[in-house]
Amino acid sequence: MAAAADSSGDGGTSSGEKTIVLVSSDNSARFEVREAAALLSQTVRRMIDEAGADASGDGITLPDVDAKTLAKVLEYCNKHAPASSSSSAAEAAPPAEGEEDLERFDREFVRVDMGTLYSLVTAASYLKIEGLLNLTCQTIADMIKGKTPEQIRKTLGITSEFTPEEEDEVRRENAWAF
Amino acid sequence: MGAVVSSAGGGRCRGGDGTVLGDLPENCVAEVLLRLDPLEICRMARLSRTFRGAASGDVVWESKLPRNYVRLLAIAAAGDGEGGQAAAAALEAEPLPKKDLYARLCRRNRFDGGNKEFWLDKGGGGLCMSISSRALSITGIDDRRYWNFIPNDESRFHTVAYLSQIWWFEVRGEVEFFFPEGTYSLFYRVHLGRPFKRLGRRVYSSEHIHGWDIKPVHFQMSTSDGQHVQSKCYLTDPGIWINHHVGDFVVKDSSRPINIRFAMIQIDCTHTKGGLCVDSVVVKPQYLTQKKVPWTYV
Repeated sequence: MAAAADSSGDGGTSSGEKTIVLVSSDNSARFEVREAAALLSQTVRRMIDEAGADASGDGITLPDVDAKTLAKVLEYCNKHAPASSSSSAAEAAPPAEGEEDLERFDREFVRVDMGTLYSLVTAASYLKIEGLLNLTCQTIADMIKGKTPEQIRKTLGITSEFTPEEEDEVRRENAWAF
Repeated sequence: MGAVVSSAGGGRCRGGDGTVLGDLPENCVAEVLLRLDPLEICRMARLSRTFRGAASGDVVWESKLPRNYVRLLAIAAAGDGEGGQAAAAALEAEPLPKKDLYARLCRRNRFDGGNKEFWLDKGGGGLCMSISSRALSITGIDDRRYWNFIPNDESRFHTVAYLSQIWWFEVRGEVEFFFPEGTYSLFYRVHLGRPFKRLGRRVYSSEHIHGWDIKPVHFQMSTSDGQHVQSKCYLTDPGIWINHHVGDFVVKDSSRPINIRFAMIQIDCTHTKGGLCVDSVVVKPQYLTQKKVPWTYV
């Protein structure tokens, strides 16, 4: 049976705030998080809206996010969540932590191996968490800047399957830029 | 710890051996490319099929185009004359990919009767403009004792206005255009001395150069929305093209045209001045002018 994983936050129930249960794709882990943190994901927000008021009883299953990634994503959400959740879709409430503290957290957060970074990008994209998507994509963009394609292939682990004809086509398409 | 498998939407999270970022889906690659500049995006197209696809996507290029790009394309098409009208109509009927539109705007686009041209800076997408000496109002331009248009291949328009001598030096101009939002710098591109080629080498004649060290030249610029700048300086350094910075102006709304008037004046009639080529007035986005730009050829 699915073991209950540790909640990523310190359990918002003590302050009486609503919590939401998120379940990983393989059903191997359930995470109870503050509503404010969960709602950073537009996808979760939409799922709750669509399912109605009693949806969070059973937990929301996220078919495209595995347990390890979900745990890491929720680490981000808990840190960046506003002090209290707002019901409006346009989340304007500031996070509970200070700016500098968050920046430091973000810098450390993306010090991970490529595989984890990849999982975080796809999860952030699927879950529609703007801040996390921005952070992870900017990190990869910074890795790419100023490098030759050969260096990038090595760093990011990309193999090119282009045929020589395709290579020529790509070169021609982009000739205007150089 | 064994490998954790995520579902069909992503890929395998192997962790540590770094071989999986290449499996990123195209929409995620597009998110990364959004954060690179246009030249880097074009370079990244060579990496893999996914990168190539993302690098051609409208999502990425729409973010690089100026907000009023539709209007700029119309101006560019109009500048092409008859063929341009047809091209503009074709564009309406079947829209081109945004990447092609960006490339189109990076070309030199003539407008206002062919004496002005605009283009986007490839790397940053900022709008640049060059206004030929033929489009400027030069006092005494019709009198060949003072001014002559001479051919010059260091000029975008292949012609520059050359001053032999005059008491009243006044070179004015104006342009009305839909500048995209941003801050721009305006310059007069001039050259002390008359350049020519001798035995294939580029030289210049200083025979008419005089008067510029007596009093400074005054520069002015004003916009239709009330911005004003004034500056002055002595003209020095013969033999090279110099972009004299007149000042900067800010554009806040690209949906409305802004009219810029500018002048370069030295009308102290106690002395004559001469030996000066006036090529053009140049407008560049401020971010470009903070980099080093070669002096000799703009």
